[in-house]
Amino acid sequence: MLGRKPIILMALAALGLSLTAARAEQGVTNDTITIGAFGPITGPAAYIGLGGRDGMNLAVKQINAAGGINGRKLQIAFEDDTHSPTRALAAVKKLIDQDQVFALFCVAGSNATVGTIDFVKEKGRVMYVSFASAPPVTWPFSRNLFRGGTTEVPRYGEMYAEFVADYFKGKKVAIMNGREEYPKNEGNALEKYLQSWFSITPVKRAEFNIGDKDFTPQLLEIRSAAPDVIAFFGNPAEAAIALRQAKELDVKARIFVGTTMVDQNFLAAAKENAEGVAGFALTPLLPGSPHADMKAWEAKWKAEYPNLPVGRPNIFDILAYTDMYAFAEGLKRAGKDLTTDKLIGALETFAGYRSGPLATPLTFTKKHHIGNLRLQPMQVKGGQWEQLSWEGKRPSEILKRYE
Amino acid sequence: MSWQIALQLAFSGLSVGSIYALVALALVIPFKASGVLNFAQGEMATLGAYIGLALATNFGLPFLVMVPLTLLVAAGFGVLMERLVVRPIIAAPEFTVVIATFAVGVIIKSAVRVQWQDNLFTLDAPYVGAPIALGPVRLNPAYLVIIAATLSVVGLLTLFFANTKFGKAMRAVAIDQNAARLMGIGVGSVFMSAWALAAAIGALAGLLLAPIIGITPEIGHLILKGLVAAVIGGFTSLGGAVAGGLLLGLLETYAGAFFGATFKNIVPFCILIAILLYKPHGLFGTAAVKRV
Amino acid sequence: MASRVDIAAIHRRLAFPAIPKHLALSAALIAVLTLVPLAAGSYHIYLIELALLNVIVAIGLNLLTGNCGQISLCHASFMAIGAYTTALLMTRAGLSYLVALPVGAAAAALLGAGLGFPARRLSGLYLALVTLGFLEIVQIAIEESPDLTGGIRGLSVPRPHILGFHLKSDASVYYLVLAITVAAVTVGANLQRSRFGRAFDAIRQSSFAAQSLGIPPGQIKLLAFSVAAGFAGLAGGLFTIVVGFIDPTEFGISASLRHITFIVVGGLGSVVGSILGAVALTALPELLRGAKEYSDLVYGAILLGTLLFMPRGLKGLWDTLAKLDWRRVKIWP
Repeated sequence: MLGRKPIILMALAALGLSLTAARAEQGVTNDTITIGAFGPITGPAAYIGLGGRDGMNLAVKQINAAGGINGRKLQIAFEDDTHSPTRALAAVKKLIDQDQVFALFCVAGSNATVGTIDFVKEKGRVMYVSFASAPPVTWPFSRNLFRGGTTEVPRYGEMYAEFVADYFKGKKVAIMNGREEYPKNEGNALEKYLQSWFSITPVKRAEFNIGDKDFTPQLLEIRSAAPDVIAFFGNPAEAAIALRQAKELDVKARIFVGTTMVDQNFLAAAKENAEGVAGFALTPLLPGSPHADMKAWEAKWKAEYPNLPVGRPNIFDILAYTDMYAFAEGLKRAGKDLTTDKLIGALETFAGYRSGPLATPLTFTKKHHIGNLRLQPMQVKGGQWEQLSWEGKRPSEILKRYE
Repeated sequence: MSWQIALQLAFSGLSVGSIYALVALALVIPFKASGVLNFAQGEMATLGAYIGLALATNFGLPFLVMVPLTLLVAAGFGVLMERLVVRPIIAAPEFTVVIATFAVGVIIKSAVRVQWQDNLFTLDAPYVGAPIALGPVRLNPAYLVIIAATLSVVGLLTLFFANTKFGKAMRAVAIDQNAARLMGIGVGSVFMSAWALAAAIGALAGLLLAPIIGITPEIGHLILKGLVAAVIGGFTSLGGAVAGGLLLGLLETYAGAFFGATFKNIVPFCILIAILLYKPHGLFGTAAVKRV
Repeated sequence: MASRVDIAAIHRRLAFPAIPKHLALSAALIAVLTLVPLAAGSYHIYLIELALLNVIVAIGLNLLTGNCGQISLCHASFMAIGAYTTALLMTRAGLSYLVALPVGAAAAALLGAGLGFPARRLSGLYLALVTLGFLEIVQIAIEESPDLTGGIRGLSVPRPHILGFHLKSDASVYYLVLAITVAAVTVGANLQRSRFGRAFDAIRQSSFAAQSLGIPPGQIKLLAFSVAAGFAGLAGGLFTIVVGFIDPTEFGISASLRHITFIVVGGLGSVVGSILGAVALTALPELLRGAKEYSDLVYGAILLGTLLFMPRGLKGLWDTLAKLDWRRVKIWP
């Protein structure tokens, strides 16, 4: 006759088994894998999430058409987060709890993403983050969280600073940035690394507000500091006004812009004032580029979405498309017997992996999940963004803290 | 600060202030007539800009044809809004009507976003060109047009209200609705015209801004500035609204120059709060005398 | 002797506790809400928590706007003050949540009273402008002190311990929020019916008439502002543990306008209206998830339709249903 203890132990073991089994198999059936995705598709940041969603869906459709992943088809459950951390948390809770997704693919902005991190960690799901550049995604290190195509803000700072100091030979640098989260972080990162790497203290730091239509006060201030380089972080509309006014007010300096402006929108808005402006692109090729690889990809995109307005596909379509391919590669490498642990292990085998010509190289290790450390330097020549062959020489210090 | 810089800043302040003034005017006119604050007024500017864009790109209309046509379409929209949204619930609490107009704004903005998404469109105007140098000051022609347009709108409105029969009727309704009705004035048509006029002025603000800042669904953000400008002006007089707009533009620009962008939006508020504590009915407003 | 009236007893009965009109309904509702964590998952629990927070905000705002007639475009700022004060007292000063939460609400109430000072002289749109300025100032104060508040990047707030008990599970946070909401609704409902509530109404209808009845409008407006701000601050303090992440954009002008829609859609000057409005408008965007990028458009249309067909808000519908003689309603002809 069995004693009481063994029975309890057995019951506990059975419970434990059933729990782990349930955990491992959430969202995975014999022929499907359900992935939850979220990003803003309404409100002022809708361009981020719409691009993210459509780019991701295009990749999923192609992957499924090519036979899926180890015999399983990918299914996407997408939720809007309206660019708000509160709504993002609701979306993620719905995806994990109600839709029972296997893993998350995040095409949200930084704060919305950061707002969901604690819950995702608590539930032990994998979240693959495509756009958010906020450090908390990858630092402090968490096994469940991966960042794909974009890189983290301090790395922006390193590359920007080296480019401004080395390629633009800037000695007197002025920084002008919007007061929202992304441009302000870019400005802060540039200032920090100009100081720590090159001992350059910006001669002027000028800020502006969302919706500002006139930059005369800021530009006059900057003019009085006589900089040789002006770094501008904001959105393309703001940059276009600032560049035009800078010319009108005789502000003579080379212009460096943040990643949000390295696209077609900026060229369309700033027209001839864009000439000579430099900045970094998040992907090796930009939408609208005459390069054959981009032409081919855009043709496929337009075949899938024939009715969308000008301005699409945007950079977020490309990032989400390439990142979904990378994520799918991870799922593939994880094997037929798909579990969260195996997916993490599989993604950690990535060493400079590129899913295609539009993708940035991704590296994940057991110590860090930053993914990408590279941005593509570009300059406007003849009204088009052109790749620069310039490469940063200084090794990144970002990885040091993960050692 | 040298006088050259002070002058340059004054020009910028007046240009930006002119746009605020137009939005403020568009807020004050229907408020005077029917006592309703139109919270969709910012979106009227958005609507104007996108209608203009559609007319210019889809139908290839030249600028000078497109502008009056856009204003006409916008005015029609104002009429619809008054008839379908405001009038049916005019007896409801004030807040209900204001939030209803806010809902109209939400609908316009999200419809525009669904159709055009967030792409930045540009609208070419024939007057956009190289800046004019006037001594040390650089004057952008697009800004000169904005200032001129605002001044002409105010001038025309003043003439209209002072000299035409319908203008006088509108003033009568603003003073006392019941008395006006007893005098045989069609109060309903006055309300409608006020909303049409305001919608057209809002659309004009959008059209004037488009060549300078481009077109996005977020143009409607202007409403908050227009509101501040209208309140400084006392919310009852057209001249006050314009003066309020220009003053706000100047205050912001100089505050930005002296204190930086962080305080650019706050300084005007602090000054205004100080003004309001001293003069609780705005710079140009008058207290309504109430009989109890 | 027998005819002596026990005035003290009447006072007790009149003053406290006011018996809720729908006592049975409230009890049933609370009972259902108590059972929710047994059946619902994390997602639905979270939505109910958000709805409850919004109920608290709406009840406070409705006292100020619906009853006292004062516009506030900065209610989100009071929420922010409550949220940041609570969060910082917990994470920086190491205070217990049970202390930090009321201190946060009190801080908001205090600032509300501060804002009430200019409000004593102003009304209508002029007041709206001052509150808008206050909103800007609070936004900038949060954004420009990143070392303290996390600035634009926001602040993560860990789930607290209360008296040695870790509020780790969804249910524990839920019950705390539910208990505080029930308390806040009770206080709000009683306040509305107290002599202060009647004074609020008097001032809305005519400040002069109120004055002639011996009601000091200045002081009463000050009180209305601080009560409303205190409610919002309390909701903000709860927000920190419900969401666990706060950033300044969550407390901007659009949040303030959303709060006003709660009470307008629900019904001005009514506690039931506040509850109905806050719950309906918290649920609506979640129900519209299926509309995807059209959800804002549909939301706007539903909002407009509701106001056009129910200008007195959901409370109007509620009253109609309550007055209906159900025995005479023919469901089948």
